[in-house]
Amino acid sequence: MTLLTVSDLTKTYGEHTAVNNIHFELTKGKCIALLGPNGAGKTTILRMLAGLLAPSTGSITFSGYKPNQDIRKEIGYLPQYPTFHSWMTGREFLIYSGQLHSLSKKESQEKADLLLKKTGIYEARHKRIHTYSGGMKQRLGIAQAIIHQPKLLMLDEPVSSLDPIGRRDVLTLMEELKENMTILFSTHILSDADEISDELLLLKNGHLLESGSINELRKKYQTAMIELQFTGDIAMYEQKLLELPSVTNVINKRDVLHVSVTDVDQARDEVIQKAALELWPITQLTMNHSTLEDLFMRVVTK
Amino acid sequence: MRQWYTIFQKEMLENWRNFKWVWVPLVILVLSIMDPITTYYMPEILDAVGNLPEGAIFEMPTPSPAESIMMSLSQLSTLGVLVIILMSMQTISGEIRSGVSEIILVKPVNYSNYVTAKWASFVLISLASLFIGLIGSWYYTNLLFGDLAFIDLLKVFAFYGLWFMFIISLSIFFNTMVKNQGLILFLTIVIVMVLNLLTSVLGKYFNWSPSQLSQHIGEMLLTNEITSDLMASAIITIAATILLLIISVIVFKSRKIAE
Repeated sequence: MTLLTVSDLTKTYGEHTAVNNIHFELTKGKCIALLGPNGAGKTTILRMLAGLLAPSTGSITFSGYKPNQDIRKEIGYLPQYPTFHSWMTGREFLIYSGQLHSLSKKESQEKADLLLKKTGIYEARHKRIHTYSGGMKQRLGIAQAIIHQPKLLMLDEPVSSLDPIGRRDVLTLMEELKENMTILFSTHILSDADEISDELLLLKNGHLLESGSINELRKKYQTAMIELQFTGDIAMYEQKLLELPSVTNVINKRDVLHVSVTDVDQARDEVIQKAALELWPITQLTMNHSTLEDLFMRVVTK
Repeated sequence: MRQWYTIFQKEMLENWRNFKWVWVPLVILVLSIMDPITTYYMPEILDAVGNLPEGAIFEMPTPSPAESIMMSLSQLSTLGVLVIILMSMQTISGEIRSGVSEIILVKPVNYSNYVTAKWASFVLISLASLFIGLIGSWYYTNLLFGDLAFIDLLKVFAFYGLWFMFIISLSIFFNTMVKNQGLILFLTIVIVMVLNLLTSVLGKYFNWSPSQLSQHIGEMLLTNEITSDLMASAIITIAATILLLIISVIVFKSRKIAE
């Protein structure tokens, strides 16, 4: 089921086109990553969806609403660099957020305490926000975005600015939230997208280059490749590998041989036969290891 | 309505925590009592400063109680107005600049609630400050220059309060239009100055302008009756305030804050 439809969305600033005629749909219940290098237009898209920017042309349609209608009730949004009323305490800010969403004072207080615990900042709930660290602010930012249980949660670079521990915590939290809401988040870090998203929207220079589920995209951009590692000097095996009928190219990267082949299964058999015959000191053989990074680079640089 | 009260409460708390509820009443009080006191003690002050030729005699007319109150109002009309603008000039623009409105206004915040709750919180501070200031002025007036009925002071408060309310509306109005706080200060002061200038140059056409309020209040204190000019000025001020608020809401609604 489609939760949100974006059609022909364009945003221009004078001569500069930040977002260029983009079309996509968000499926309900999925976690979708908006992936692209810096300046690809990720933040601009999220801001238009959140109603903070007006699209130059095109429409954003939420299921059950008219195109470009005010959908603020249905969404939760965390900006890339969230700023709060820093003179408030974390708990006060969450209660204020809840009340702005027309929750009663009591409901807001209960939800605030629940979310403070869930996001792990309960201990600091009575401290002023200006004393919070970056990671705590990010958690507070997520808490304020979900206090009204939105149908769509939008997070702009939720983990880019965090240290490894904070990053892990936020990703775990997002994993939990996936159960209850549709999540759209932007990132330029591929492994984050790989880890928790179901679908990808790949952007570059304001264009949507590719979209689809990660597995679909993997398949589409899969390269026939085998990686081999040996003990000892590996240079002598390069030539031997090239002699195999299905091998087209061999590259030696940091003592790992990246073998491009025409057919992976056939190449594997050939390699194993030859290795068994000549007793090659193979320590590792990996097939089809096309990472999201390969995919990304392939799409972005094509 | 509940959302309006939520925002209003947040504004009140903010103005309490950043000490606006302390410094604004204090400054307004000082401005209000300064002129009556210095006028009364002027001979002593001149004496103490010295530098007067031997035998020079100054005849200082003792102001009437009404004149004493008017001296306070004239301070409030200049520096007092400045204080009111300084207090309110970043209420919306500051939130947009800091980015906090990116978090607040993506929630289903009704724009008229947002604008008018902020307006009301500042009107409340400025009226409370004005009341404290006028009570101070009244106290020294009674002490130094003679009696003024308390009911007259209340009338002064009621009518002059409208002027402060109008200033807040102007400041809020520019807050919804521009981000730069210096510009908001500048534009609000320019409008007040232009109003004053027009009133003094083209007095007969601008007899009912908001900036004529204090003039008419002076007449009220002298004649002891509420003139029709004062009523007309008051009504026009209220109308202008409401109009400014309506336009502010419309402007703010149509504005995308991340542009």
